[in-house]
Amino acid sequence: MGILVIDPGLLTTVQDGGRFGFQQYGVTPSGPMDERAFALANLLTGNAEGMAELEMTLYGGRYLFDADAVIALTGADMKPLLNGEVFPMYRAVSVKAGDELALGFAQSGCRAYLSVAGGMDISPVMGSASTLTGKHLGGIEGRKLQKNDRIAFAASISELPSQDKMVLPREVYPAKEAVLRVVAGPQDDSFSREEFRKFFWYSAVITDENDRQGCRLKLERPIKHIGDGNIISDGIAFGSIQIPPNGQPIIMMADRQTTGGYPKIGTVISVDLSKLAQARPGMRLRFIRVSIELAQELYLKELRERIRIKESFH
Amino acid sequence: MEDIRILISGDRAVSVQMGSVINREINRRVLMLKAELEKYPIEGVTETVPAYSSLMVHYRPEVIRYRELSDEIRKRSLTMGGIAEEKKRIVEIPVCYGGEFGPDLEYCAELEHTTPEEIIRKHTQHDHYVYMLGFAPGQPYSARFEEPYGFKRRETARLSAPAGSAVVQQDLSDIIPFDQPCGWNIIGRTPCEICDYTREEPFLLRAGDWIRHRSVSPEEYREIRRQVRAKEWKPVVIE
Repeated sequence: MGILVIDPGLLTTVQDGGRFGFQQYGVTPSGPMDERAFALANLLTGNAEGMAELEMTLYGGRYLFDADAVIALTGADMKPLLNGEVFPMYRAVSVKAGDELALGFAQSGCRAYLSVAGGMDISPVMGSASTLTGKHLGGIEGRKLQKNDRIAFAASISELPSQDKMVLPREVYPAKEAVLRVVAGPQDDSFSREEFRKFFWYSAVITDENDRQGCRLKLERPIKHIGDGNIISDGIAFGSIQIPPNGQPIIMMADRQTTGGYPKIGTVISVDLSKLAQARPGMRLRFIRVSIELAQELYLKELRERIRIKESFH
Repeated sequence: MEDIRILISGDRAVSVQMGSVINREINRRVLMLKAELEKYPIEGVTETVPAYSSLMVHYRPEVIRYRELSDEIRKRSLTMGGIAEEKKRIVEIPVCYGGEFGPDLEYCAELEHTTPEEIIRKHTQHDHYVYMLGFAPGQPYSARFEEPYGFKRRETARLSAPAGSAVVQQDLSDIIPFDQPCGWNIIGRTPCEICDYTREEPFLLRAGDWIRHRSVSPEEYREIRRQVRAKEWKPVVIE
């Protein structure tokens, strides 16, 4: 008993915390694009960290529940309706067998996360339920959801003990311009000081080529390399900003390749990746350089905040 | 020996650069550091990813911060044991050359002013060293150290090369795990799956291995293919 997919939306996939330990074999970790919205949805349903959820992109679709459950919806505002009535986001909500959840086009943000208390019953592949569509790995048959797919619940939970308390303030996502903080490196020395500074002076526009693998940007003045724009391939982290030979940045996201041969001028800090995951084509991005110490301080602060939320739900 | 450089890759990874050229000596040091970090783990390190001349170390800053991690990595790079005697792990990969499986074999022979047999000889006679896996799950970046071909990549890339294709340029040789775009010449195809998620060991190869290509006939190709499909096939590994 679980969810029946009536309309799968544009791109809905199963994602858990990610598939770790296989990057040495060339397997990208996948996992949620917006780690924050994903984490909050699991917290709101009382789930353990990293349990599988549905990630919906731009247009959510329609889902029929054939069993009672407690669910939570976070991230992009797709004007969700339950049986035609406004469905509240960012809180634990009980649904009944026969209820239908409908999500439209995102009014704000880009990706929504649906969590079910007790989790979804997805067979893990290499330790993870995350879907990597390009390589037919994980999730439901390694692909995005289709009409008539069924996702079984891992448990039968119709109410949580302190469900009334399980409410969080909604996230607000910028519509026109986002500011992303960046730690320099690993290959900031592939650029002259001037070209490096230019990256932070001018804003970039998110192009239509913006997917789970990478977010391609357009700069009016492309960044020039000192060399030919190639390096000896090395590892790629979530948020790495590659500058290929054409000088137009690509920010590497959840389905990034594990290694690559373009210089990386910097890396978007972890706490700002959520903003990028929720950004849409046409939006402007501005970059601010911060130290590794500050980036890690902010990340730890966010993790502490999640622990505080978890405790407040007990 | 070059000093290691630890480059910041955001707040959850560092790229440990062990050298600035591609050679086996440096790559072996990368793999030695990886082995050292597995033998004497640093708490907070989640996984390591070897490349040609660097090791990416992914970590949790809530357990260990950048400075402390860098110090620990440096220490291990100094104390890491010598894998003095190289333990060579050779994985035999059957390849059916030419014909429908290797549409560029004749063309490569023309480029080299030689025969298809000579192209095959160079590919099968010398073992190829696997520097790293990347681009796609299980895909080896391998090279031989003798008798490189003279040609580079094709002028236009194929939008889709079939899974299992053996593709070559100069000293480099790849096996493509999935149907995927490829700009190299295809000289043959292996019937085995170098990546199969349903296997207990999904990946046939790992960094530091050697590949020994073995020429097989179309009949043998089909027989191995049948065994692979029936999950009866076992790779030949020489240690």
